[in-house]
Amino acid sequence: MGAGALALLVVVVAWRIRDWSSPEPPFEPKTKPPQAAPLCPWRDPENDLKRFFPNATRYEPKTRILSGQRLELAERLGRVPTGDENALHVYHCYEEQLPLGVVLTRRVKGDYGAIELVLAVGPNGRVCGLRLQRLREPEPIATALQSPDWLRSFEGQRSDSSWKLGRDIPDVVPEARLSAAAIVDGVRSMLILLATSDPSASQSPEAAPHH
Amino acid sequence: MLLLAFRNLVRRPLRSALAVSGLASAVAVLACLSAFGDGYRRALSTEVDRMGLQMMLVPLGCPYDAAARVLKGKTLDSSLPESALEEARRDPAVAVAAPLLMAALARPNQGRADMWVGLDKTALALKPWWRVEAGDGWFGDDNAVILGCDAAEVEMRKPGDRFYSPETGQELRVAGVLERSGTSDDSMFFVPLRTAQRMFGQTNRLTAVAIRLRDPALLRQARDRLQGVSGAQVVTPTEMMGTFVNLVGAVRTLLLSIVLVAVTVGVLGVFNTLLAAVVERANELSVMRAIGASRSQIVGLITTEALLLTGAGTAAGIVLAVVVGQGVESMVKQFVPLAPAEPLLSLTAATLAQCVGLGAAAGVSAGLYPAWRASRRQPADASKAE
Repeated sequence: MGAGALALLVVVVAWRIRDWSSPEPPFEPKTKPPQAAPLCPWRDPENDLKRFFPNATRYEPKTRILSGQRLELAERLGRVPTGDENALHVYHCYEEQLPLGVVLTRRVKGDYGAIELVLAVGPNGRVCGLRLQRLREPEPIATALQSPDWLRSFEGQRSDSSWKLGRDIPDVVPEARLSAAAIVDGVRSMLILLATSDPSASQSPEAAPHH
Repeated sequence: MLLLAFRNLVRRPLRSALAVSGLASAVAVLACLSAFGDGYRRALSTEVDRMGLQMMLVPLGCPYDAAARVLKGKTLDSSLPESALEEARRDPAVAVAAPLLMAALARPNQGRADMWVGLDKTALALKPWWRVEAGDGWFGDDNAVILGCDAAEVEMRKPGDRFYSPETGQELRVAGVLERSGTSDDSMFFVPLRTAQRMFGQTNRLTAVAIRLRDPALLRQARDRLQGVSGAQVVTPTEMMGTFVNLVGAVRTLLLSIVLVAVTVGVLGVFNTLLAAVVERANELSVMRAIGASRSQIVGLITTEALLLTGAGTAAGIVLAVVVGQGVESMVKQFVPLAPAEPLLSLTAATLAQCVGLGAAAGVSAGLYPAWRASRRQPADASKAE
């Protein structure tokens, strides 16, 4: 009886010691990070400005460094940030001196090749336009992904919105789901990077999308 | 004397600095031009050696343009019949004949062009730098693609991923990714020859045939025989290299003549500075003569000043060439035919010696007349001036 109690005590103590010696990591990623992508250029700023911010007269590129906020980023993204997420290239759009919003670009891994996204975000941190500036998906997938209705469904979304494909963003044909999920994740990641780099944008009062 | 000469020069710092800067600019351009010629020849030779081939069969037309376009991964408007490959392989002097089919699919609205290359396994013998970093090492089947490392990075592809060519409707699977080679291969998509011919509607057609001989000494005989292949012409990399070197050499000679004018202007600047100094210091030179300085000592003083000025100008010019050389090289590469990927500017000891020699000669020639004029001052002139 006494030996049994002693064995139980030893097991409990050993268990506690194991718990103390392995402190909980500050962040446990739930998903694998996506493949790091090379810098994505903004290929057609003139037409994109007309499309997203018709009153814009100019834009200014700026780079925000996020390497000091990797922990916060990891928590918000739900995964370890990739190397290319240490910096965010932001194109600030203005009507003369009046800021209208920002444009972000990103390359995501589509099913058949890279897909380049151009995302317009209003001053309130909500999406006000999305365009796929380059993709190499086969015809039915490309049609589904470039459908104006599907792209418009991103408008009004924020970094802290719900992003489930099929619920918050309309579902697409089954063969396009992989690429669609990459786009949804890419847009969400860009908004989180933007909100982390400029918290004031995501805390500004609610406003209608600019578009 | 050196210290005295130096002090004389710094008495008029702006004038001396202007003379030095004029000569420095001329020497910098001369050094860049000289280094560029040597570097271009060497880099081109290295590039040709790395090709691992001794001749190419290209479609009829300008053979050098055709060969350069093929080597730099650009497409040709015309093509060869595949029978040319068979004829080349039948030639007794040919060790390897590798077919190539190239096609560029421009996507101007997306700001890029896809560069596709169809090849078969014989091409491996001509591409010793080919290392497949990941994947099977070769196309497993007809629907496989091997990507250059830059192409794989831009398209975010890994072995096993799917890949699609929207323009041709061809669906492929990534069989491998090449290690970085520093050549145009890094940004290309490689597919089996038959797949490329099907994709681009070029059945039984080729862009070029790359040939390696059993013995380089058989080049002349093999070339004479292969010139008879219908619809094709033979180009050797050595001929191409010679043509490009001659072309660049002609431009270099023209530029060199302009640089020599600039050097002459620089020398005249030094001459002017020294002559002005001699005129200004006429009384001082007479006093030097009066207190015992010989004519040869006066000549030595002025010549030392001239050498100091040109030495400083030459040194500054060489430093300038090193500093701005990279910028000049990137600018020059845009205009040079078949610009090799390697650095073109090579500031060798010979180039530096050439610049230093020219600087010394310029210094001596610029100082001769002012030194002679200074040495003509008489000791009695000192009292006249007083």
